[in-house]
Amino acid sequence: MANELEMHEEECYVALSYEPLDAKAAMDRVRSPKAGAIVLFAGTTRDNFRGRPVKELQYTSYEPRALQTMLAICKSIHKKHSLTSIVMIHRLGIVPIGEESILIAVSCPHREAAWRAGEEALEECKRKVEVWKREEFGGAAGGVWRANRDGAAGVEIDPVENEKENAPAQGPHGPILRPARPGEHGHGPVVM
Amino acid sequence: MSISSKASAGHFTILYFASASSYTSKDSEILQAPLPLSKLFETLEERYPGIKAKVLESCLVTVNLEYVDVTGESAGDQTIIQEGDEVAIIPPVSSG
Repeated sequence: MANELEMHEEECYVALSYEPLDAKAAMDRVRSPKAGAIVLFAGTTRDNFRGRPVKELQYTSYEPRALQTMLAICKSIHKKHSLTSIVMIHRLGIVPIGEESILIAVSCPHREAAWRAGEEALEECKRKVEVWKREEFGGAAGGVWRANRDGAAGVEIDPVENEKENAPAQGPHGPILRPARPGEHGHGPVVM
Repeated sequence: MSISSKASAGHFTILYFASASSYTSKDSEILQAPLPLSKLFETLEERYPGIKAKVLESCLVTVNLEYVDVTGESAGDQTIIQEGDEVAIIPPVSSG
């Protein structure tokens, strides 16, 4: 992949890429005869924010800092779950609707640890990695920087965002319609 | 975005991301060094009135890629931003 920024240490590989992400390539990076399971998570960009059309998303990053954070997360989770291998790749720049913005692939001798590790890697990434998402509404409507921490907009670029106080709490990938587990962020519970 | 515009003698580079970049209309700029870390937010507030309450109070700060305590009573008082340092304003992240 052109323009790719990457770091790796032993069986942990992290990268930022301005090119479309390749799920098969991420899986192949963690594939191993020692692993009985590969769990792949692909986060894709949605076409709306609480029903309001989103034209495209744009991601920026403090690249060297983000890569260090991603590697630290992967090393910690690799060790905690005795993974065979782990990959975390985030896309930057303009990401058209419906395309992957993040891939996480983990391989492990057994699937239970792989599921858990994949989920934890994603939650840690969303909580810590120095990447910022801007939703563009198109035309004069402008755009808004999101914050994973509370789903709130960062700097108000668009006054319409203030109307939503009674709407369901907003997770990074949509309204949260059920109570969160303690410490939960993001894509919801892993069902095992 | 290219990360480091090289600071000249007596200066440091400050990087703005996401909401901080929108508020300042800049990705980065050069400021005078040395500057006590504890004076960073008020220095920025002088240049960009309102930025402290609207942006900085929810942000973290790195100096040369390491997070520093800018608002706490402990570390912020002693740290001095030095010539050539790269400081970054880190708003709440939204990866994924």
